[in-house]
Order: sequence, then C-alpha cells, then structure tokens
Amino acid sequence: MAKNLLDVARSFKKLSINTKCPNQIRLLTTTPALGTNFYNKLPATDLWKGITSVSNAGKKRGRAKTVSKKNIKDLNRGQLIGVGKANIVWPGLSAPIIRGKELVEQIQLPANPDREQKLIQLRDTMGARKFAKLSPLERGWSGSKMPGRSLGPPDPVGEEKFEGFDSRVLELRTIVIMKGNFGRKRRISSLVVTGNKNGLGGFAMGKALEARIALRKAKNRSGQKLVKIKLFNNHTVCHHFFTQFGSTKIYVWQKPEGYGLRCHRVIKTICQVIGIKNLYAKVEGSMNVNHIMKAFFLGLVRQKSPEEIAEEKGLHLVQICKENNFFPKIIASPKQCKTLEQLPKDANLDFNQYCFDGKVVLQKKKKEPFYTKLKSYHSYLMKYEKQRDQQEVRSSLIAEYGEIRSFLADQYPECGQYRPPKRVVESEEQEESQ
Amino acid sequence: MAGLRHALKLFSNSSNVSYHCTRRLLNYSAMAYDGKADPAETFFNDKVQSLLKSLTRVDYNKVFKRRKLGEKHLSDPVYKFMTEEELKEALEVAKETAEELLQIPPVVRVRDQNVKVLSRDPALQGLETSRLVFIDITYGTKDSDRLIVVREPDGTLQEAEWQLRQRMNQTYFPQDKKYLETPKMFEGEYFESLLDRHQYEYILDRACIQFEPDDVEYQKAVTVTYQHVNDNNKFELLRSTRHFGSLTFFLVWNKIIDNLLLDLIETLHIHEAQDLIAVYSLVHKISFEGEQPLDQIKDFIKKSANKKAALELAIQAYEDTTVERAASF
Repeated sequence: MAKNLLDVARSFKKLSINTKCPNQIRLLTTTPALGTNFYNKLPATDLWKGITSVSNAGKKRGRAKTVSKKNIKDLNRGQLIGVGKANIVWPGLSAPIIRGKELVEQIQLPANPDREQKLIQLRDTMGARKFAKLSPLERGWSGSKMPGRSLGPPDPVGEEKFEGFDSRVLELRTIVIMKGNFGRKRRISSLVVTGNKNGLGGFAMGKALEARIALRKAKNRSGQKLVKIKLFNNHTVCHHFFTQFGSTKIYVWQKPEGYGLRCHRVIKTICQVIGIKNLYAKVEGSMNVNHIMKAFFLGLVRQKSPEEIAEEKGLHLVQICKENNFFPKIIASPKQCKTLEQLPKDANLDFNQYCFDGKVVLQKKKKEPFYTKLKSYHSYLMKYEKQRDQQEVRSSLIAEYGEIRSFLADQYPECGQYRPPKRVVESEEQEESQ
Repeated sequence: MAGLRHALKLFSNSSNVSYHCTRRLLNYSAMAYDGKADPAETFFNDKVQSLLKSLTRVDYNKVFKRRKLGEKHLSDPVYKFMTEEELKEALEVAKETAEELLQIPPVVRVRDQNVKVLSRDPALQGLETSRLVFIDITYGTKDSDRLIVVREPDGTLQEAEWQLRQRMNQTYFPQDKKYLETPKMFEGEYFESLLDRHQYEYILDRACIQFEPDDVEYQKAVTVTYQHVNDNNKFELLRSTRHFGSLTFFLVWNKIIDNLLLDLIETLHIHEAQDLIAVYSLVHKISFEGEQPLDQIKDFIKKSANKKAALELAIQAYEDTTVERAASF
C-alpha cells in the first residue's frame, strides 16, 4: 500500500510543470500592472456576451450586422476536463483514484483520432442554422419561401376525407396592428387555395401568431368554402371572359390542349389546383395577390356553359378548327333556334365581343429589338440572304449521301468531302512483302 | 501465316453474309396492274364509282378528324353563332370538302416504258458529249402533256424517259412535299416497319403525293400495303378515307375479297356486302342470282369464294342473329 502511494507521488512529480525556467529573464517594462488584466476583471459569461452580442444601443446604430453568427463557436462544447488530445487516464480527474481495492494508475492509452474529427464536426454544426434542402417538386415560386408551396389536403372533417385535394399557399406575410395596452401586435396572415383538380376549388385566409398555425387555419377553412367550377372538355375554361375585383382587371382566354398555363403565377397556381390545364390570362391594374385571386374566382364562378350561351342567344354555337379542316362542329344548340329576322337589329353576333362584354383588349404591337435600326443589321441581312437555305440543303445532302458533296462528285471525286486516307498498319505490309 | 489470314478473311466474309440472310424480308410481291386488261375502263365506270363510294362509308368525324399540321401548337378554335340556315349552309360546304377529300386515287395500268424516237440525225453525232434536255415551260400545260425531249450524243432526238420527265417537271414546276429522290420510307426495312405499325393511311397519302398513279413504284408501294391490310383485317383503319375505294377495287380485281366480305357480314353490313358483290360482278362480268342480298352472297360463295367454310359459317351466324332480333322485337 505504501509502495503504491509512493508510486503515485512519483508520477505526479513527473507531470508537475517546471516553473523554474533555467534562464529566466523578465522584461519589467512590458508587464502591465499585475492582477488588473482585462480578462480577469470580468467573469467568463460577460466576456462571452461581449464578443457574441451587441448592446441595444449598438444595435440601433446598426452594429449588430457586423457580428457574424456563423463565426461564433463555443469551443468548450463537447470537451471534458481531463480528456484531451493525449489520451491519458488521470486518476482523480478523468478516472477514480481507487477502483475496488486497487489504486488506479495513470496510463497513456493509444491516440484516438476520432475525437478530433467529432469535435470539428460539432463545431461545424454551430453558427448559422441550416435549412433542409427542398426537392424541386416541393419548392414554391421562389427559393424556400412558402408562397406556391403545397400543403396537402385539408384535415378531414367527420366523414369527409378530402381525397384527391391539394392546397397551395398564395401569400404568407406579417401584419401589424396597434393595441392600446400591448402597442404593436404582430400576427402572420396566410392565403391558401385548395381544390380537387377536377372542378372544385376554394380559398381562405388564416391569421395566427405562428406561420404554421396560420397556414393550417387557412387550409382547413378553404376546405369549407368550396365552389363548383365549370370546365370545358375538362381542360380549360368554358369561354373567354373579363373579370374585375377592385382595380384588378383580368382578361382570360380559352386555349386548346397543349397550350399550358400562361398567366400570373397566382392564377397559374389556382388553375393547377382546380384542374384547368390550358389558359391565357392578362392582369391589368393592381397586382394585389388577394384581389387577383378574388377576381379570378369571381370570373370562374360567373362562367356560362355552352348550352346556357346557346339558349341565351337562341342560336347554335359552332366551333371551327383549322386542324379539323374547318368542319363546323356544333358545341351547343338551343331548344328553339331563332331566324335572322327574329334577332334584334343591334344583336352582338361576334362571340369574342359577347365574351368580353363589348370590351376590346388592347393588343400591343411587339417592340422590335434595338439592333433592327442599325445599319450593320441591314447589311447582315443582305449578306445572310444568300445562305438562308444552306442549312436545309446541308442536312438533306447528309440524309441522302451521308456527306456534303457537289452534284459533280460522281464524275470528279475531288468535289466530295475530303476524308483523310486510312492508315495501313506497317507491320502487316512488311509481312506481306516477306 | 498469310494462308491463315486469308482463311480468316474468308470466314469473316461468310459470317457477314449469314448476318444479312438472317434479316427478315417482306414476303409480299407487288401486284401492279400490268396485265393486258386495263383496269381504268371498269374503274371509271359511274356505277363502279358510286358503289365504291358507298362502300367507303363516310363518317364526318373520321374525315374531319384532327390532323397534325406540322405546327408547334394547336390553333385557337373560332366560335360562331349560327342560325339554322347558316348552319345548314356551313354543313353543305363541309360536305363538298369531304367529297373532295374522299376522291378515290385513280386506278390505271402501269405506264409504257418505251420512249418514242422523233428523229435520227447522224450528222449531229459527236457534237455534244452530254445529253441535252429541252423542256417546254409554257404556263398552263399539264405535267403529263408537257413536251420534254432529249438530244442524245449520237444525234437521236427522242422523248424523255419517265424518270427524267418526273425530274424535269419537279425541277421547273415543284410540287410541295414531293422529292426528286424517292423517300427512304418506301424502301426495305423502313417500309416494313411502317406496315408493322399499321400506318397505312400515311403510306398511301404520301405515295399519292410522291408518285404518279401509273408509276411502277407507286403501284408497288400501294399494292403491298393493300395486301398487308387485307391479311391483317385492318379495314377499319382505311374506312372513311379516300383509299378505301382503291383498296376494294384492288381486292376485287385480284379476286381476294373474302376477308373484306367476312368483315362486312360479321359487322352486319349486309347491304355493303351486296354492293361489294355487285362490284365483283361488274369487274369480272359474272352475275350472281338472287333477289335478296343474302341470296346473292350465298350464290357468290358457291361460285367464286376462296374461303367457303368461313363465309358459310358467318352467313349462318348472321341468319341466327337476325332471327333472334326478330323474336325479341
């Protein structure tokens, strides 16, 4: 026992730091007043705070911007006293002095390379918060912002499960109101549209202190406010129409299959949710998201089916397509068709004018690019005129002969495309000569 | 060593040959109208024409089906309000258009390949080293009537042969989508692949644009297609198109109408079957007795059908269904 104790004392002696420097020289002039160091004047928490944060007054002057959260790293995290680079067991520090009836000895263990790696990994996770990457299909209109993103179907209510429904966020913003006792009160307002992609759609606004709750409220409310929307052949709107809400005016055109949705992103998202696949829309006036949405929904709800139009006019509604060789296809017929004499003199028989309610859409001429006015462009056109069909000729020649060649190439081989002659392997030649 | 290499070369050659032999070849031969009898005489007969048209069975949904016009997007449809009279007028116009679209491509004999010599002038022999082609490009003459002659290097002046005629016509009076060289789709594996995909209408439409009706190549492409249609029973693909009349006439001319007749009986189009037999009797100058359409068909089966058993069975099934229907009413 005594021997063991002696050993411990010896090992401590070995490790004790030798404070007596052999050639100790002190420059008294450079030493500050002992005991009044900046670092020992303040506790660690205050020092840490001083580095990582900015005072309120400083914030107001814009100093907070210079403190980069990315660089603030707590190096103490993940470290234990007594455990370090050199993997040594310290009895009394990182291990008990006596285990069972034996005294624990100080042992040098083999180095642990993983420890350093783990520390670096831990430090990398500190600093700025990283957002999980969204898949391109889940992304909204812009970056990782909510507007345009899908929220899934509204939560089931009793028996109703909302199968086949999908909700999309149209707007998510902070709104502020003044309260008598609280002062400025912030809330999050969200606008969500939901639909079953087959002619049912609804929209609602939800407000809450948290974005998540506001979105959930809006989503579930929109499921309660569904309206039936008429579709033409299950892919587009019934007819062109004009619609207005406030100062937001929208002109909507019916389009054939394969055209796609060419319109404001709000209208596009609403169409995707309702099940409209082809449409062109032009928004005039205010671009307020709420107003665009309301105007578009109003227009959709006010649509007339072809049968209603035919009945209202008392005439056949006929569709004529270029692809069908201009065959007059009857879309809808009234019960009793009017004759020309029965129609009022000022009857509007133009279908487009009927749809837009007499409004004429301003068709702006496409602006020519600036370079068309330059003299050099004119000379380019003059030069290019000679070669305007050459690409076509080239491709047809390649299709026919497999190369670009002159019509004289049969008689004069030099008129064909030059191809370097194939190299003959020398060794073979030598063998043959032998 | 050299001997071994030679042997290897031979071996590689033989393997090449075997590769070519294993490729599937189309087992149809062209059945062009190249016999003594001229099909044009019977084909242009008014009675035959009207019968062929009635056999075409016009369906406006099919005649005016949506076609690809080579544009990126479908055009915007135009909507119109129409009174009863206006609609009737528009449908009348559409009917005329359909008449035009369904005009049956002419069936004529293969053209004579001999060229007429106009004069022989040995004095001009050796004046030129190449042939000189003269073409009359006067406005308003038909391609078939246009004067195109060749002065040969040996001094002979003769009419241009058909390939040259076609080339000169296309050079000076180009027709849209017609090419100087025959498109690859009418050759070998490309043609086979089109047939395998049952793209009959496309082949026949393009053949009408590319060739003249009396061209050997036209008749080859068209008759092989008709045989393929007949063997695969794909008559429905050509119904309500301009080619159904030519197809029917081809089958009648070659006495292979059994499949078509079977198809008509099975789909209960007994009057059309009667029309088909009427065309047969007009072309081959055979009369089939019987007042009722069914009796005529039976007479045909007895006299000149190839697949007697199948046809008789079909007739039996038809009679059973008519009896059943009569009973149910």
